[in-house]
Amino acid sequence: MKTRIPAMLAGLVVGGALLLSSVGVAAAVTPPAGPAGKGVCATEAAAMKTGATVATARAFGDCEINRRFTSLDALAGRITASKVLTSSDAGALQSEVGATKTGLTSLKATIDAETDLTALKADIAKIATDYRVYLLVTPQVNLVSAADGVVAAQARFADVNTKLAARIAADKTAGKDTTAAQTALDAMNAAVANAVGLAGPLPAKLLPLTPAQYNGGTAGPIITSARTALGQARDQIKAAIADAKTCRDDLKALK
Amino acid sequence: MKHQLSSIGRLAATALLVGVAVVACGRSNGATEAQTAATAPAVQQTQAGQTTPTIAPTPIDEATSAPTQGDTTSSVAPAASSGAAVTPDPLDTQISNLDSLLNGVNGSLSGSDNSGGE
Repeated sequence: MKTRIPAMLAGLVVGGALLLSSVGVAAAVTPPAGPAGKGVCATEAAAMKTGATVATARAFGDCEINRRFTSLDALAGRITASKVLTSSDAGALQSEVGATKTGLTSLKATIDAETDLTALKADIAKIATDYRVYLLVTPQVNLVSAADGVVAAQARFADVNTKLAARIAADKTAGKDTTAAQTALDAMNAAVANAVGLAGPLPAKLLPLTPAQYNGGTAGPIITSARTALGQARDQIKAAIADAKTCRDDLKALK
Repeated sequence: MKHQLSSIGRLAATALLVGVAVVACGRSNGATEAQTAATAPAVQQTQAGQTTPTIAPTPIDEATSAPTQGDTTSSVAPAASSGAAVTPDPLDTQISNLDSLLNGVNGSLSGSDNSGGE
């Protein structure tokens, strides 16, 4: 008995060590959460502020590039999965996202090899100014997707129009007063036309924009204007939906 | 000496048993990790969506790819409450789906308005 207790304790120690080492391995292979948000590099930014060295600056630069990689990958995935983007718009956006990622990869290599702090700081500034992932590329993907979505919606409204128009015609033939329903249907079609008129030209304006144009102050107003136009297009679609419902309800009331 | 040999034997046996248990736990953990890895992209996307509205998914894709005609299984279609007595009007479904289309436009618009710290 005297010898059994130390033996068991020793066994537990060995087993515990094995267990801990296996946990350690599991923790090591668990992938870290992908950096994407604005505050993701706050720790690296604070470290660089407190003591700017080549190491802290490089860590900050790498973090900022990595979170852009995450954002660009998400954008690329959405472009690929989109069912509303036209093939040419999807191709242009995918090409832009790819070129941005290639450029940032090259910049990361420069940052990782840089040993002079002043040069490193200048390289880090280029992460934002040379690529404009959040101020230009992301809005381009979102706004072009929205614009193509509005244009694609036209077909959906066309189907609704066909059905409502057929019912109006049938009721009219039956001698019913379809004036209100027809007015609502006309309003729906007008609103859809307005929405498409607002959204349709936007991809051609948004896609050619470059970071240099953004830095020069010419791209920002185009993005703002596109956002405003899409807001109006959204309101037109909202009105068109209300008109479609009004038309349907008017027809139901005639039954 | 005999005692010592016996102790070493017991120590080895205990360590072996614990080792087997650890390996079994590891396998079980492995399955969990595999499951976690399978669901990780979705989780990350959600987190990214929360922290970075600029890459928020745009529901417009889903909205505009929604069934357009005669889809009686759609969640927005009026449900028949008593067997096959009531056939939902495809037009109602289509018009209801237009609402999700509107949400899609809103999603894209809100996703485009964030500086991401630039």
